[in-house]
Amino acid sequence: MVASSAPVEQYNYDIVRKFTIMALVWGVLGMLAGVYIASELAFPFLNFDIAQITFGRLRPVHTTLVIFGFGGSALFATSYYVVQRTCQTRLFSDGAANFTFWGWNLSVGLAAISYMMGYTQAREYAEMVWPIDLLIAVTWVVYLVIYVMTLRRRSQPHIYVANWFFIAFILATALLHIFNNMAVPVHMFSLSSYSLHAGVQDAMTQWWYGHNAVGFFLTAAFLGMMYYFIPKQVGRPVYSYRLSIIHFWALIFLYMWVGGHHLHWTALPDWTSTLAAGFSILLLMPSWGGMINGIMTLSGAWDKLRTDPIIRFMVVSLSFYGMSTFEGPLMSLKSVNALSHYTDWTIGHVHSGALGWVAMISFGSFYHLIPRLWETKMYSEKLIFTHFWLATIGIVLYISALWVAGIGQGLLLRAFDEYGNLAYTFIETVSFLHQPYVIRAIGGGLFLLGTILMGYNTLMTIRKAKKERTEIEAKIAAKLANA
Amino acid sequence: MFEWLSWFTHMENTKPFVLVLFTITFVFIIVYVFTNRKRGKRLESYKNIPFQDEDENGQSKDIKDEQ
Amino acid sequence: MKHESIETNAGLLIVLTLIVISIGGLVEIVPLYFIDSTIEEVKVDNKETIRPYSALELRGRDIYQREGCYTCHSQMIRPFRDEALRYGHYSLAAESKFDHPFQWGSKRTGPDLARVGKKYSNEWHVQHLIAPRSVVKESIMPNYPWLMEPLKYKDIADRMRALKMVGVPYSETTAEYEANVKRFGEEIAKKLNILHAEKNLIAQAKTGNYDGNADDITEMDAMVAYLQMLGTMVDFSKFDEGHFADFR
Repeated sequence: MVASSAPVEQYNYDIVRKFTIMALVWGVLGMLAGVYIASELAFPFLNFDIAQITFGRLRPVHTTLVIFGFGGSALFATSYYVVQRTCQTRLFSDGAANFTFWGWNLSVGLAAISYMMGYTQAREYAEMVWPIDLLIAVTWVVYLVIYVMTLRRRSQPHIYVANWFFIAFILATALLHIFNNMAVPVHMFSLSSYSLHAGVQDAMTQWWYGHNAVGFFLTAAFLGMMYYFIPKQVGRPVYSYRLSIIHFWALIFLYMWVGGHHLHWTALPDWTSTLAAGFSILLLMPSWGGMINGIMTLSGAWDKLRTDPIIRFMVVSLSFYGMSTFEGPLMSLKSVNALSHYTDWTIGHVHSGALGWVAMISFGSFYHLIPRLWETKMYSEKLIFTHFWLATIGIVLYISALWVAGIGQGLLLRAFDEYGNLAYTFIETVSFLHQPYVIRAIGGGLFLLGTILMGYNTLMTIRKAKKERTEIEAKIAAKLANA
Repeated sequence: MFEWLSWFTHMENTKPFVLVLFTITFVFIIVYVFTNRKRGKRLESYKNIPFQDEDENGQSKDIKDEQ
Repeated sequence: MKHESIETNAGLLIVLTLIVISIGGLVEIVPLYFIDSTIEEVKVDNKETIRPYSALELRGRDIYQREGCYTCHSQMIRPFRDEALRYGHYSLAAESKFDHPFQWGSKRTGPDLARVGKKYSNEWHVQHLIAPRSVVKESIMPNYPWLMEPLKYKDIADRMRALKMVGVPYSETTAEYEANVKRFGEEIAKKLNILHAEKNLIAQAKTGNYDGNADDITEMDAMVAYLQMLGTMVDFSKFDEGHFADFR
């Protein structure tokens, strides 16, 4: 895969290429799992009485593959690319970089298989059993070392803002992963373990982890992506560098406080969840500060929207980022949360962030990145436009269906009749959900289809690049023979 | 030993404390970043870093093609 | 100090970032371990009524986790009128103090299970787990016929020992057993004895006969035993109206 024309590349693009491909592979598989479990909710016969594919076991497969498989690989790829380009130096140690590639992908693959076999820690987004947790921890430390060593040998005195976000993401993820996964195994050769914390403390630790998986894994790091790829694609520097400084410190400080808003009205003490709600509202400021910084960077290039599908992905991703970071603080208000919690509104909110922001900015960055990595043009620009529309329509269907489902179910559950009795049984609200669930599955299916098109487009681009290279080599060989 | 921590759990203590603390920090950062014109100019100059790698590495070719 | 000194020094950037991201967790999580009112005291006749799981219930809980039940069912009732009518008294922090990990859940695709214990018969649970739609026509829950397979319980003592290491009061020595007698009463202390774990598990499965088949010990025995004890450890009629509100 390495360009044979250049003897040794100035940058280590090989690792970036590998992670890019794996991001697309995990993305397709993870979204496929997502569409399947969404369909199981609409049509329960799809569980087929096969233990390995029941909703309860496949759901962590979906979340792990999309968050850590797709999102994680996308972040490895882009962070390795950005740190080399902005520091103008080659990545530290090819061997260590390859180790992170195998360590990470092995962890994701093993995790998915182990859930289907029934091995899980039963902690949301941290279901991996303890040996996989250890593998992840080692991989992550190597990642940190590579990143820091690369920063240290930069030829540029200043560390560009995108790298701050990547560093914060690496550090925070290490911290969260270690403290949330502390557990005692049943014995040396058992995959089962019991967590160190219990009850209230366990819940708070888990959601401190859970929300910062969103805050650092799915936000801070993707903001790093935004701060590099949006300026590069529009050909204009970021709108305000000073705003980005404030954005960075405020965002990483505030995010760590907000996990408790997942535990409103529970047995968690009131002071903790109130504090979390307060910080969630404050968080709106850096979130929107960052979004405005991104939008203003784009604003000089509105004319390109018509011709450049990549910029479209970026504009839509920022819009969804702005929308879901507004919706988040809204849902963290205790009165709103009383209705929204435990319903599909939460799921819809997560997906407006995960599909709208995370996946769209990744797609945009990859479409920018892939031609540069393989030194050619994308196989088909038309397919990028098609992907854009499939993804956008898919998200809109998805989240509006779940608004209906979530708010509707919340209202039905708290409805009383004239005598003060409950107006609906629980199962009546389940029947109500059928239609929104069907529409949600269709929306998710469209999004998946878009991702598959991207995979196809990428595959053909790589093939094209190979063909072009052999042609050039043949020409050179012919010239040499003539001479 | 850790009893003093419970002071923070009373909302009537925590709210004003936290409000004052964070407001001061926030205002300080804003003032630092946005006041001094010279400092501002220097900070803004760093935003061109992503564009400084074009010449040397032979990667600029495809970028020019696109634009 | 200039902001540039952070921007040009990777080490300083890392240290400052670590400090900034640590504050939130330190302030919100650490006090939960030290503030006594975080977890209510629930005592009747000077004995704690909230106890660790018996050997069989523990295996049931393991299966509950294995099947990912927490992805659709919560175990945390909130203090609202509709939830009180639908599920019962709101959940206490004390009720999950022996839960490693907690299973509060985050989504109710199905109803809350925090107080499902004793609400339905064993037969209902078995039928419902094997074929939910044969009991509730509109249900979207998967069938779990494989729960009728034999239960694996050879490592039950190891499991209880691991839980003991993280702080659950299972007993191995006589002194620990005596302490449990004092704390929970003799009947419960016997169930918490690791030395008799396997014997206790078999006995509970046989006498409880949860799966309708007294000869085999199946995963269904463990699962139904677990479901039937959920939320049954606090007898709210024994406490004053406002007693638990003081802890909130």
